[in-house]
Amino acid sequence: MAQSIVVGACPHDCPDTCSILTTVEDGKAIAVRGNPDHPFTKGRLCVKVNNYEERVYSDQRLLYPLKRVGPKGSGSFSRITWDEAISEIAARWKAIIADSGAEAILPYSYLGTQGIINGLNVGDPLFNKLGASVSERTFCDSASCTAYMMTIGHTPGVDPESFVHSKYIILWACNTLSTNSHHWPFIEKARKNGAKLVVIDPVRSRTAALADWHIQIRPGTDCALALAMIHIVIKENLIERDYIDKHTIGFDELAARATSYTPEFASRETGIPVEDIVKLAREYATTPPAVVRIGVAVERHAGGGQTVRAIACLPGLIGAWKHVGGGLLQLPIWAFPVNWPNLMRPDLQPAKMRVINTWRLGAALTGDLPDGPPIKSLFVYNANPMAMVTEQDKLERGLAREDLFTVVSEHFLTDTAKYADIVLPATTQLEQKDIMFSWGHLYLSYNNPAIAPLGEAVPNTELFRRLAAAMDIDDPFFFRSDDEMIETSMDWANPALQGISLEQLKVTGFARLSLQQPDEWAPHRDGNFPTPSGKCEFKSSIAEGGNFVVPLFRQGYGGDQAGEPVDPLPHYIAPNENPSTSPGKAEHYPLSLISPKSHAFLNSNYGNLPAQQALAGEQQMVILHPQDAASRGIVAGSPIRVFNERGSFEAFATLSADVISGVVVAPAGYWHRSNRKGATVHAVTSPAYADLGRAPTFSDVLVQVTMA
Amino acid sequence: MPYVVTDLCTGCRYTECVSVCPVECFHIDDAMTYIDPQNCIDCGGCVPVCPVGAIQAAHKLPPDKIEWIEINRRRAGETPVVASRLPPLPGADERKNAILLR
Repeated sequence: MAQSIVVGACPHDCPDTCSILTTVEDGKAIAVRGNPDHPFTKGRLCVKVNNYEERVYSDQRLLYPLKRVGPKGSGSFSRITWDEAISEIAARWKAIIADSGAEAILPYSYLGTQGIINGLNVGDPLFNKLGASVSERTFCDSASCTAYMMTIGHTPGVDPESFVHSKYIILWACNTLSTNSHHWPFIEKARKNGAKLVVIDPVRSRTAALADWHIQIRPGTDCALALAMIHIVIKENLIERDYIDKHTIGFDELAARATSYTPEFASRETGIPVEDIVKLAREYATTPPAVVRIGVAVERHAGGGQTVRAIACLPGLIGAWKHVGGGLLQLPIWAFPVNWPNLMRPDLQPAKMRVINTWRLGAALTGDLPDGPPIKSLFVYNANPMAMVTEQDKLERGLAREDLFTVVSEHFLTDTAKYADIVLPATTQLEQKDIMFSWGHLYLSYNNPAIAPLGEAVPNTELFRRLAAAMDIDDPFFFRSDDEMIETSMDWANPALQGISLEQLKVTGFARLSLQQPDEWAPHRDGNFPTPSGKCEFKSSIAEGGNFVVPLFRQGYGGDQAGEPVDPLPHYIAPNENPSTSPGKAEHYPLSLISPKSHAFLNSNYGNLPAQQALAGEQQMVILHPQDAASRGIVAGSPIRVFNERGSFEAFATLSADVISGVVVAPAGYWHRSNRKGATVHAVTSPAYADLGRAPTFSDVLVQVTMA
Repeated sequence: MPYVVTDLCTGCRYTECVSVCPVECFHIDDAMTYIDPQNCIDCGGCVPVCPVGAIQAAHKLPPDKIEWIEINRRRAGETPVVASRLPPLPGADERKNAILLR
């Protein structure tokens, strides 16, 4: 038996980007494990990826191109060749372009695989060149990225490894143990050194249960808490005047703005006792180094962008940035010198393009479009919108359109792929090569392919080479090999890559960016914020230009931005849907619904696989407070119906005081088949955008629950 | 109940598992360790570091080891947490060699 160990990296949209060792025997992957040499991921993987070989060799894998033979959505397909599939796609697209223009074609994708060459931007050059509609992908951290840019700029912030030096750690809307678990040992080490851990979350999550202090907050009201913290640290003079004078702008205006955001105000909004709000602000301001780690959930409500604006002001006010292990952590991805323009090629775009936001796919497919021709073809890869996108009923109607030509590239016949006219088989991470950034640590990773592609599966890079050829493109850029794409994926001359060679990276699998070590890293000790002023902007100068989505999330396109006016000072925007802001709606739908990541699924990945279903349950579960259940005659295990005016889904009830009364929790990621009604939680979520960056508002939803 | 210590641990108790566990979910008695299913985050980090291969994912247990799911749950409730690695039990290396030769 010829056995070898291949070093790779996890492909998933998770901050941890683990280094993975795959054991290969006679050309077959027999096991995966974490790489013990990786300083951040330290030899562990997670509940999603521990059995990755089961994903690769699952009998559900798509291995050949398929063509629809039954009605749309029936899941009836027959096998065709790649040549037939590509020829048909090209013929249909050419006809659509001739009849309606290229904007009638809509790409749809995100981070089903996160590798730099196969991930976010792999299709952008082709669709930019064709002049198709721009897919504005504001799935994750988009409000956050806009707010960050307006406040402290796109800084990597605190090195997650520097948390060992922190003395006061706030995990804000972040269930670390389920969604960022390799960060936990650094937090634990800090606690052994005397740090206090505070978790702010509506739910007593696994992480909250282990915290020193769990602050249970009403969904969507986090900004009120952050503004009250600003109010208290200024009023009680817990600020660092010298840091404010040298490295911030807009302090006086912020101080004036914060006067009305009293702890009493915040208590009414958040449900947190006044004394706890005061205590939190005082402890945070007087226990250096203090650090805040925000999770993606912090932005998923009407005022999500301003929430991140307010939180991003806090470290500047107390001078937290002066210390190693002090400041704010959002996305260290900004430390990676990725050659984004070369990946997206915005220079190929026509002057004017139509932008369609990913959250409005159902509306777009059913004719509710800003301008331009109806969508005639949808091309989906790295995404499963039928499981994960709002307005599920509209989306289903849109995907069922006989005149819509839908192509889906996938590992499995997902809820979306079932509606395709052509299904294309994609490789898993063990069958492809890639180079990987991380949004949770500072190591660049390399993924060596461990095995040959199964069946006729191809990496996304190869898929787009084939499509470009069939669309008669002759620019050699579109026909570069994976190795050539990897070589040009990074700005290798950037100081952050000094001393890192691709050849060495292939051998080790990872390399720390050439930055200061975690024991020294304090990027804003002396200001140096990547903002227009170079300072932390309490009053944002960029806000003048109005609301926008960072171009990275829209194929590099800078035109046709949202543009609504933005108040340059942080302020509170109450949730769209809660009993105090929408009492009329709350009469019928009195419960606030949130839909966090499931512990066992990664978005909808693994929702179809037995090992993870064994943990999460084969059927959707929903957690209710025992009082809310009792008043509805619901007992543990009851089949229930969750609904509002937008739609409904069914689930089985779990009763727990881990949620506050008035809140229900429906973990996301289950597929339609895991629901007695053939729907997911996104049948009831809202299509409303957050205030900044067109982020979704999944934590800002009212529902009613009854026995099914 | 995701990861389970089986009877292969008995008499060795290397506790390498404890050194990688991020959440202190290992409990211990005189003979072996147990995983607390309430605390375990299912990361699987302990599986490859066990010198005798005593730890397995619950869904991969052979039928004759299924009882260890319940034994882990029960014993974790009756025994103390072990927070750092301990010396193996006397005779562990001989036992390990015998197991690996099987």
